[in-house]
Amino acid sequence: MTRYFRELSVAIALGVLLLVLAVFAPKFFEWQPMLSRLTREAPTLVCACGMALVIISRQIDISIGSQFAVCSVCAGLLAAAKVPFVLVLVASIGIGAAQGAINGALVAGLRLPSIVVTLATMVILREGLRWQRQGQFVNLPDGLQWFGLSQAAGQYTLITAAVLLLVLMAQGMKHLAAGRFVYAVGSDAEAARLAGIRPQLTTFLIFVSMGALTGLAALMNIVQSPQVDPKSGSGLELKAIAAAVVGGVAVSGGRGNLWGVFAGLLMLACVNPALTYLHVEAYWEKAIQGAIILLAVVADGVRSRKLSH
Amino acid sequence: MSASKSAAWKGVLFRHETILLLVLLVEWFYFNSVGRRFGTMDNTFDIIRHSVEIGLLALVMTPIILTGGIDLSVGSLLGLCAILFGKMWRDGGMPPLLAAACTLLVGAVAGGLNAALITGLRLPPLIVTLGTYSLFRGLAEAITRGADTFTNFPTSFLFLGQERLLGLPTQAWIFLAVGIGMWLLVHRTTFGRAFRAIGFAPEGARYAGIPVERRLALVYVLAGVIAALAAIIYTARLGQAKADAGMGYELFAITAVVLGGTSIFGGVGSVHGTLLGVAAIAVLGNGLVHARQPREVAGMLTGALLLLALSGGVLPKLLATWRARRLSTSQAKPQTSPP
Repeated sequence: MTRYFRELSVAIALGVLLLVLAVFAPKFFEWQPMLSRLTREAPTLVCACGMALVIISRQIDISIGSQFAVCSVCAGLLAAAKVPFVLVLVASIGIGAAQGAINGALVAGLRLPSIVVTLATMVILREGLRWQRQGQFVNLPDGLQWFGLSQAAGQYTLITAAVLLLVLMAQGMKHLAAGRFVYAVGSDAEAARLAGIRPQLTTFLIFVSMGALTGLAALMNIVQSPQVDPKSGSGLELKAIAAAVVGGVAVSGGRGNLWGVFAGLLMLACVNPALTYLHVEAYWEKAIQGAIILLAVVADGVRSRKLSH
Repeated sequence: MSASKSAAWKGVLFRHETILLLVLLVEWFYFNSVGRRFGTMDNTFDIIRHSVEIGLLALVMTPIILTGGIDLSVGSLLGLCAILFGKMWRDGGMPPLLAAACTLLVGAVAGGLNAALITGLRLPPLIVTLGTYSLFRGLAEAITRGADTFTNFPTSFLFLGQERLLGLPTQAWIFLAVGIGMWLLVHRTTFGRAFRAIGFAPEGARYAGIPVERRLALVYVLAGVIAALAAIIYTARLGQAKADAGMGYELFAITAVVLGGTSIFGGVGSVHGTLLGVAAIAVLGNGLVHARQPREVAGMLTGALLLLALSGGVLPKLLATWRARRLSTSQAKPQTSPP
């Protein structure tokens, strides 16, 4: 019970929020808008899963928004050049993994703090992309949107893919040795090393998978629209971090699981539409995002102080 | 042993700042040969005008990084303070001087929020200031609804950002005063020693009787006040306040500090190094414009410069530990083998 206290409290908060919406704004539960809302969150879920791994291993990655934009534009350009879909998928994931590998090499190889490294790569990638594209959109070919299926089928495919990935990763984190390594390195890297785990290699691979997942998420995003916006993905890093932190992943590392992250993401996804139904303007989105991150870490801080006294 | 060690440290420090000065000179001569107008007095004042805000943020970021912390929220706070300053002046009907005083107070409160969360609940600075980074910018956007800007400030206020006083740009005098104050604080007071001690070993500092929480709170509140000051100067220089003011400035400030030889892990660093770092970045940014490079290149190069400076800072230490480990394993081998 106490072990999953944090995850359960998020799930209960989500339930309460849904209940409030059911009473005050039953329109929220109409199926079509709900479906498209969930589809829009599917790429964010994929990124949040990766971010959970990164934060559990006591690192952080604020460059994923820029990585997402680079992967989106590259995949869009490849698709526009009539490259087959499978190759576009592989290329998008590969480009993401390569960007993650740069972060990983600097963080794990040179032992630099991840916050500063990813701050630098965030700006380098974003400015580089803006320099190359000058804000130009990429027009996608006809067959790409919703994988060439109907809109409903495409939406179900995306949601299924994201949830399947979540289940696989959650089970992997629990039952695979590699999953346990992430927790071990996050709670005490030196102890993990003495236990025969290679913390630097683990950290490197976590950053590579973060990049690969971002590449996958980018592709899941571009199939939803006929164009690629080179500014897409700005603020994605904050969304993913917020979902992880709200979902009970401890920023001090070594704690948290992906089901909590899932609940956290669903809750955050409900907050914004809930605000529109409650007549709060959309300009507040960023401020509320920040306030939610702060509230979540404050709740964790208060709780851990109570436990230690 | 300790004497030779401190001599070695001094050597490294000396070398680091000399290299930076050399880089600065190379930059200067290169851009002078490329751009026609680069070396003129007007352009030098231009560089100073454009770098004062980032310079102020870098100055105040130095003690924060010395304590082993970081503040990602200074750029966003600059934006929020600029908006609030404009709001108080235009909609609140305050004279600019009173509005500026209130803005500094807002900065102190915002810095106090960071400080309270970091010291009161012992939360990591990076996640707290990441949260306030989003919160402050979001508030600025919410107040202006993403579109409102404040312009038509009185010329007596614009004097602060666009005119000269005693031969120098007006804001350069403020920068000079803050720079000297910060240098004295970090290098000539017990506060500065406390910052280093905290960055070197927080627990050790506590046992040595340093009030760690109060010292940490001081640097984050100071960062808020200086960010507010930078917001006022920014508004005076551009003659307008927008919600996106100071976006990305935290990167430039952190880069200047790290480039100036302050260790990102805390405990080691200097204010004069930071000033050199600011100069190197400012000359690079301005020179690239004169060399007809697009604006994005300056941002990319700053990021790359930060990575280079970071790697340059850790590589010698990394090589030393690697060598030591190899040495210890080669020594350990004969012991483990049977006699």
